[in-house]
Amino acid sequence: MIDVRVQSPVFDVSEEQRQLLTGRHDIGAVVTFTGLVRDFNERPDVEALSLEHYPGMTEAALRDIAGQAMTRWTLDGIRIVHRVGRLSPSDPIVLVMVASAHRRAAFDACDFLMDYLKTRAPFWKKEHTASGTYWVSARDSDARDANRWEEA
Amino acid sequence: MSLTHLNARGEAHMVDVGDKAETQREAVASGRVVMRPETLALLAEGGLPKGDVLATARIAGVQAAKRTHELIPLCHALLLSKVSVDFRLDEAASCVHVESRCRLAGRTGVEMEALTAVSVACLTLYDMCKAVDKDMVVEGVRLEHKTGGKSGEWHRASEDVSATRDASENPSVDSAAIRVKFLAELREGLDIEEVTVPIASLTSPDVASLKTALEAQDPRFAALSAARILCAVNHAMAHEETSLSGGDEVAFFPPVTGG
Repeated sequence: MIDVRVQSPVFDVSEEQRQLLTGRHDIGAVVTFTGLVRDFNERPDVEALSLEHYPGMTEAALRDIAGQAMTRWTLDGIRIVHRVGRLSPSDPIVLVMVASAHRRAAFDACDFLMDYLKTRAPFWKKEHTASGTYWVSARDSDARDANRWEEA
Repeated sequence: MSLTHLNARGEAHMVDVGDKAETQREAVASGRVVMRPETLALLAEGGLPKGDVLATARIAGVQAAKRTHELIPLCHALLLSKVSVDFRLDEAASCVHVESRCRLAGRTGVEMEALTAVSVACLTLYDMCKAVDKDMVVEGVRLEHKTGGKSGEWHRASEDVSATRDASENPSVDSAAIRVKFLAELREGLDIEEVTVPIASLTSPDVASLKTALEAQDPRFAALSAARILCAVNHAMAHEETSLSGGDEVAFFPPVTGG
């Protein structure tokens, strides 16, 4: 039901969806979020991104976040794949896929999972630009997005 | 060395502690319940028929610590100032590690309370999971360390023969030391990836004391006290008061920026 992976190779969205749905006839909705590397962020000329994680804790944190989504909504499956290592603009970084009988639960859970992943899972980004390399700062807007789920 | 629970005639008796000085006492005990990986996964997902296993086992452990004197014949009834019971799910060793910490200001030690809390928490885990797994084994119930009192401080010297799988696979694990990791921007800023700190060098076994000890060692570690720096103990988010014991892995890192 819950499948989380941290890996450096690229993931295949349709293959992930096939695995999520194999043998199931009761799923009515799959919502997929794919995050990509942008060529502009804190500086306008991002050439590459390095992603670091904390092996062991990162996987545990992702499983914990997925477990929380499972208790908040009625879901049939969650797959999270997050890449680490050096990535280039337009490369996919993260995949969050949620399956449910009905669309609303799948949309909401996917939104929740990304908000929590961005503020709770131990990953760190470093951007490489023509004018130098720097660690990306955490955004207040991400913390605000994650807080939306506390009030409910 | 003699057994204090036996009198001059070799009969069991309760020791008169009236003349002992009141000191701050603390004891930490641990144990584990080994189970099938499927059982551990069900426990993690909350999919077991009796409901929230860890919350129930935690309460059971705390209650048991308070009633130790009713169970162990020659134990005194104590007014405990703190009882905690913590669990760590270990997928690699397919077990749940249970740790209890008991404290009081008094005239007698609290190791029996900590050991009783661990034992009963382990038994409750067994009871809550036995519907799906009867092969579970409760093992390794033992005192990890105790402080205060006439005998002063005591720490388990090293892993015994029934050492955890972690330790036997990785002989460099030192049960009396804490591994401290620095991640991402913090690691680059400090130019240090990892240090080992003996648990005995801390004034009290918690994160705040670890920071103090590191800063005394090298002023650069003052960076760990910045409000934005986060801390995890054994892969779970932690705070200043989070308690530490030998073999723990502590990590300090900046706010996360994944996704």
